Amino acid sequence: MSPRTRPIPIITDDALTITGGSFSYGDTPALTDVTISVKPGEAMALIGPNGSGKSTLLKGVLGLIPLVEGSMGLGTTAGIGYLPQTEHIDPEFPVTLKQVVMMGRYRKLGLFRFPGSADRAAVREAIASVGLGNVANKRFGSLSGGQQQRGFLARALAAQPSLLLLDEPFNGLDQPNRDALMQTLRQLKAAGVAIIVTTHDLELAREVCDTVLFVNGRQIAFGPKDEVLTLANLQEVFHEFQVEIDEHTVVVPGHEGH
Amino acid sequence: MNLLDSFTTAFALPFMGRALLVLIVLSIAAGLIGVFINLRGLEFLTDGLTHAVFPGLAAGFVFGGQGGVLIGALVAAAAATIVLTLMSNNKVTSDATTAIVLTAMFSIGVIIVSASPGRAGGLEQLLFGHLLTVTDSEALITAIVAAIALVLVVLTFRRQVFHAFDPEGSAAAGYRRVSTELVLNVAIALVIVAASNAVGNLLVLAVLIVPGALSRLVTTKLGALFVVAVGSALLASWIGLSLGFNISVVGGVDVPAGATVALSFVLLYSIALIVRVARKGLNA
Ligand SMILES: Nc1ncnc2c1ncn2[C@@H]1O[C@H](COP(=O)(O)OP(=O)(O)OP(=O)(O)O)[C@@H](O)[C@H]1O
Ligand SMILES: [Mg+2]
Repeated sequence: MSPRTRPIPIITDDALTITGGSFSYGDTPALTDVTISVKPGEAMALIGPNGSGKSTLLKGVLGLIPLVEGSMGLGTTAGIGYLPQTEHIDPEFPVTLKQVVMMGRYRKLGLFRFPGSADRAAVREAIASVGLGNVANKRFGSLSGGQQQRGFLARALAAQPSLLLLDEPFNGLDQPNRDALMQTLRQLKAAGVAIIVTTHDLELAREVCDTVLFVNGRQIAFGPKDEVLTLANLQEVFHEFQVEIDEHTVVVPGHEGH
Repeated sequence: MNLLDSFTTAFALPFMGRALLVLIVLSIAAGLIGVFINLRGLEFLTDGLTHAVFPGLAAGFVFGGQGGVLIGALVAAAAATIVLTLMSNNKVTSDATTAIVLTAMFSIGVIIVSASPGRAGGLEQLLFGHLLTVTDSEALITAIVAAIALVLVVLTFRRQVFHAFDPEGSAAAGYRRVSTELVLNVAIALVIVAASNAVGNLLVLAVLIVPGALSRLVTTKLGALFVVAVGSALLASWIGLSLGFNISVVGGVDVPAGATVALSFVLLYSIALIVRVARKGLNA
């Protein structure tokens, strides 16, 4: 046997485990030293400033960019649902919202099966849970930005994944839809889905998440939210940043602060 | 035989039956694939592939006669598909470079055919096809090649739709980007090879690009796009073939039927365009 040059997956009960993981686009890794585990029914908040590697981690879990160091294991998953941070689509593309959400079922359908009643039900439920039932048959490109984002969320939900990766899902949502999404996330957790959410909103992290991962090019801290959401960690991650805690705006002093 | 007969009873003639069979298979394959060409904006790549296939057609024709055309075309198509797919994935070249290389390929093909003695009329046949004089075996092979293209697209139908709409999302869902693109490009190349023999290399583009473009003018429903594209391709083939028959066989004027077929495609497109513009004008 030749020596292992590539990390091999580890078998685990957790929905996701990464040990000493680094992810890289080219030569220099974009995110290093990641050691985390996410259990079924648990939500992890992924927090860090712009360019800190949040989207990178999600893409790494999806296998879109390589794990160059360490190891990563996915539990016995029913698949991964993914809401990208940005989507570039042709607004004239001839698909309805319903058809886009059905794309979430494609992997399950495989090559030869046509969508059955279970697939249609999953699509209907996913669309209803993001509150878009009244525009299900509209052309996707004719929806507003926030509606499109919720449509993509519905597509991720329709896959009925056991691991859900959401990249800034609250961006661009109005208050009722934020509340609705919070509610959806709680229901998914209750159903045993493991969730990773990137966000800049600490309040939200405290409300729906169980664990927090702080990153800034590397892992700064990971653990239960009460232990990790500390001023010291915030300061290390953001250097200098306005954060909202309990509806008070706190300016965290930076290393090169004002 | 009057004009009406050209559209109906003429198809009882064996050579017309063969031509019709070839065009039916081509229309179904090209109609479906043409929608993806339109949705993905692959018109330039398709044009490039037709040019790149030409020297293969020419070399096959010169060295193997009519039977060599298909083999030469397949070899050229395979090479060109792989190169163009990799190039578009790595963005190593500009459209301009591609265009220059492909024009060069086309010229090489023209020189190969022209420079070989004893193959008179070969160039015209390669460029415009010989729809009314295809042999049984040619018709069969053309149909098989087009059918393979059809099967490739049908088997990957969902991921082609997913990829056309949202390439990143489809990659995240676990569909490999390069393989999705390669399958479609291979299918396009196979249709080009099949159609080159029947309607000629110059006119292939009409068959591959017009039905998809036409369907976008007519409908915004995904399923209907494919139905309209295939339906219009069949209709244009029937009209074009009948006209070609009427002009060349009944009228005795030597016009390749491939040209009347290509013209019928463009004609249907023009009608669809005029109707759409008129409807918009009325609504405004
Ligand atoms: N496709 C890419 N190729 C090369 N480098 C990239 C690519 N995408 C991101 N990077 C780099 O990786 C680092 C992390 O980027 P990432 O997108 O993960 O940040 P982020 O934490 O999601 O930021 P944001 O809050 O702005 O979304 C950045 O330095 C970025 O420049
Ligand atoms: Mg990001």
